[in-house]
Amino acid sequence: MFKLATKAIEIANKYKVDFGDIRIVEERNQAVAVKNGEIGALTDQTTLGYGIRVLYQGAWGFASGRDMTERAVADTTLKAIAIAKASRLLMHGKVRLAPEPAYTDFWQTPFLKDPFAVPVQTKLDILFALDKVLRADKKIKSSEAEMTFMREHQWHMTTEGSRIEQVLLNSGACITATAVLNGESQLRGYPCSHGGQTLAGGWEIVEAMNLADHAERVREEAIALLKAPACPTGLKDLIISGNQMALQIHESVGHASELDRVLGYEESYAGSSFATTEKLGKFRYGSEIVNLVADATLPGGLATAGYDDDAVKAQRWHIVKDGILSGYMTNREFCGRIGKERSWGSCRADGYSNIPITRICNLSLMPHKGTTEELVAGIKDGVMMENNTSWSIDQRRLNFQFGCEIGWEIKNGKKGRILKNPRYQGITPEFWGSCDGIAGPQEWRLWGVANCGKGQPGQRAMMCHGSSPARFRKVKVGVHG
Amino acid sequence: MKNIETACKKIFRLAKGVQCEVMAEKRDSALTRFADNVISQNVASSALSFSVRLLDGGRSAKMSFNQADDATLKHAISSGLEILKHQKKDPALLPLAKPRALAAGKNLFDRETAELAPSFRAGKAAELARACRKAGQVACGTVDNASSELVLANNLGLFARYRDTSVTHSVTVKDHDGSGWAEQTSHAVNRIDFARLNETARAKAAASRRPRDPKPGKYTVVLEPQAGADLITFMSAYSFGGQFYNEGRSFACGKLGKQVLSPLLTLEDNALDGAAAGMPFDYEGQPRTRVTLVEKGVLKAIVHDRKTAKKAKTVSTGHALPQPSYFGPLAINLAVKPGTATLQDLIKGTERGILVTQLHYTNLLKAQTVEMTGMTRNGTFMIENGKISYPIKNMRFTQSMVEAFANIEAMGSEAELLQGWGSISCPAMRLSGFNFSSATKF
Repeated sequence: MFKLATKAIEIANKYKVDFGDIRIVEERNQAVAVKNGEIGALTDQTTLGYGIRVLYQGAWGFASGRDMTERAVADTTLKAIAIAKASRLLMHGKVRLAPEPAYTDFWQTPFLKDPFAVPVQTKLDILFALDKVLRADKKIKSSEAEMTFMREHQWHMTTEGSRIEQVLLNSGACITATAVLNGESQLRGYPCSHGGQTLAGGWEIVEAMNLADHAERVREEAIALLKAPACPTGLKDLIISGNQMALQIHESVGHASELDRVLGYEESYAGSSFATTEKLGKFRYGSEIVNLVADATLPGGLATAGYDDDAVKAQRWHIVKDGILSGYMTNREFCGRIGKERSWGSCRADGYSNIPITRICNLSLMPHKGTTEELVAGIKDGVMMENNTSWSIDQRRLNFQFGCEIGWEIKNGKKGRILKNPRYQGITPEFWGSCDGIAGPQEWRLWGVANCGKGQPGQRAMMCHGSSPARFRKVKVGVHG
Repeated sequence: MKNIETACKKIFRLAKGVQCEVMAEKRDSALTRFADNVISQNVASSALSFSVRLLDGGRSAKMSFNQADDATLKHAISSGLEILKHQKKDPALLPLAKPRALAAGKNLFDRETAELAPSFRAGKAAELARACRKAGQVACGTVDNASSELVLANNLGLFARYRDTSVTHSVTVKDHDGSGWAEQTSHAVNRIDFARLNETARAKAAASRRPRDPKPGKYTVVLEPQAGADLITFMSAYSFGGQFYNEGRSFACGKLGKQVLSPLLTLEDNALDGAAAGMPFDYEGQPRTRVTLVEKGVLKAIVHDRKTAKKAKTVSTGHALPQPSYFGPLAINLAVKPGTATLQDLIKGTERGILVTQLHYTNLLKAQTVEMTGMTRNGTFMIENGKISYPIKNMRFTQSMVEAFANIEAMGSEAELLQGWGSISCPAMRLSGFNFSSATKF
């Protein structure tokens, strides 16, 4: 593949581009699912193509293709140069990239068992068995059991001399049950709903979930929620657990810290950010125990790789340190705007056909101390919520509302009855500022976000967020229409 | 086209007698994105993809790929046949349907649009950015164009082909603490009124400067077309699809034929010759039919694919997504019947209310009442005594759409074509008692 890639680099050099790169990407995606006792998905997708990026006289051009011949690669490179020339019609100054050493390297996601080597029928047998347990009660009107696997093989070559080969692998699964009765429906999932839990690794990720141990509980909790009281309304103390912490981190810190958004380059679609650059190093984002760390080297992380798509080596850095805004997600184009001489390396593209853009890296809330029980013990009147069902946040990442699968009432330091339709609203810095408890490292775990959308044309990216359950004081809960 | 036909024939030969369906899509697209008054992204993509579904007496497999060389085809189909060999039978799996006569549909292909040059897109971005820079405003947005061709074929004799083009100019303008938005989509570039869109977004941005703090609560709202379309689309997706209906998760369950929504609301899905027309067949090769979902507030029908139709003991309406589908059938060519009021009439008839330009990050909270949340964006204004009185900071709504669309007071006369979950043609509308649960800081 590098031989083919060399053609693009030769042409880019011939035209004396400031920078040029080609990423050849081969992807394989497999989805196997059973829904309501029938096959819900059974797809195996492979794609192969290349994306060519040129910075010509300070302006960007990008073109992609799928014809794997030298002639087609050459034509696509020339197309990217022609597009860059058109971009010069509207520019302030020349784009300059932060320097990065040239690398020659191979990097691969560590895994134990290749998920694509596990027969499809084995996967279907497991899923049909789970689905049968989920549907064992007639109140369950919709059941889903699914697995997804993805392998991405990249060959990345730059005019600066980098020659990087990477193989990224991830695996995911989940079960969900929806109970319906008298015009009410309630969803429960394990490990979570909305596409489930995905982590970097092989078949061992699915095995470690022990899905069969949870199917009966998921079914019974979905049914129990039908008769549960609704989450009360008012200002209450809140403990967030399960993958809801991942969504809270993702929406209110992850996207808010993407430097392209902060600088206004995402304004027309996903929006901008309140976390503007003059706040760096000064702004109180959360309480003193709030530490949020971006980490492209995190084992199991969906954004973990040897290098990003700017050919920058993987790094670990604070976004929020002791409650203060301390960093951003950056690419090589924009990091200079905050005085950084080197990008933190958070620039990625979706497949071969998209241009790399600034994305959220793995971003985790660092554990503090104690247990969830101790967090509960410190609450007189509150609610615990687990696993996300609904998310919404304004375009500067301030006002948010989340809905969860299940809640539990907390009264006088004790976790009590379950509550349905638990929801909460908040304003980002006030909310993180109210965080006065984060359980210790023994309860910290990693959650995958496998479908983060951004950009125009729309691109999907994957990343993880780790956290322990955390406590927030006087949060607006139980918001209903 | 010829390449696709040749590939289909090769795939059918390799399928060795089992039922075989091929969906091939060729798409050439380009997009120029601008922000901060400069071009920030300028990209082009050329893609061809094949999805092949094999079915054999209750067994199925689906392989997708984007290379059409003989080795790829052979590997993909033999992998699929291998999966079939070891698979247990699923008695619920439907075999392929026999080909049916398909309507030609509207011609939505425009060669000029397919062939727009990068310099054209950059030029349009530059026109807006220069005007904004001069006025102390900031231009953001996109100019994009695409041409697509889709072939759905099977070895029972189906060979359906559809092609179209699209062009969109989307403008967001920032004016200090004000912002405005306008967007138009069409199949033909000569229908895009670039100057009008630029002027609308710029004027709205200027008018929304220095917004005041609003008080959350229930208000009469005037929803401009994008805002109304966003909510209607969600209601349709989670209520009028056969799967949600069959599972008892739709508010329409047990209410077909009943007056549930406002008499001012008539909603249809019409891919053939409606205001948001599109592909005249669905992803099972069935003819798309015109379905009136809501007529003067009375729930009339839901849409089906072959699977949900069988369960509901009816026939497909031609609304299948690519199979197998987790989501079930979906109406993707929606049209809200326009009323008689101009946007100015809608504002004039509001004693106290809120004008919403655009909604942002909308999401479903509760299926049975289509309770939703989301934020206003890019121009939110207080209306008092029939006039826009001042801009306000953005607000979050938490509201049942069943209740909201029962409370339509007036329907706008001018529908706009918008993209979401497919296409929708929707006018502005005025609703009473719309619940805003909180506000944000800008």
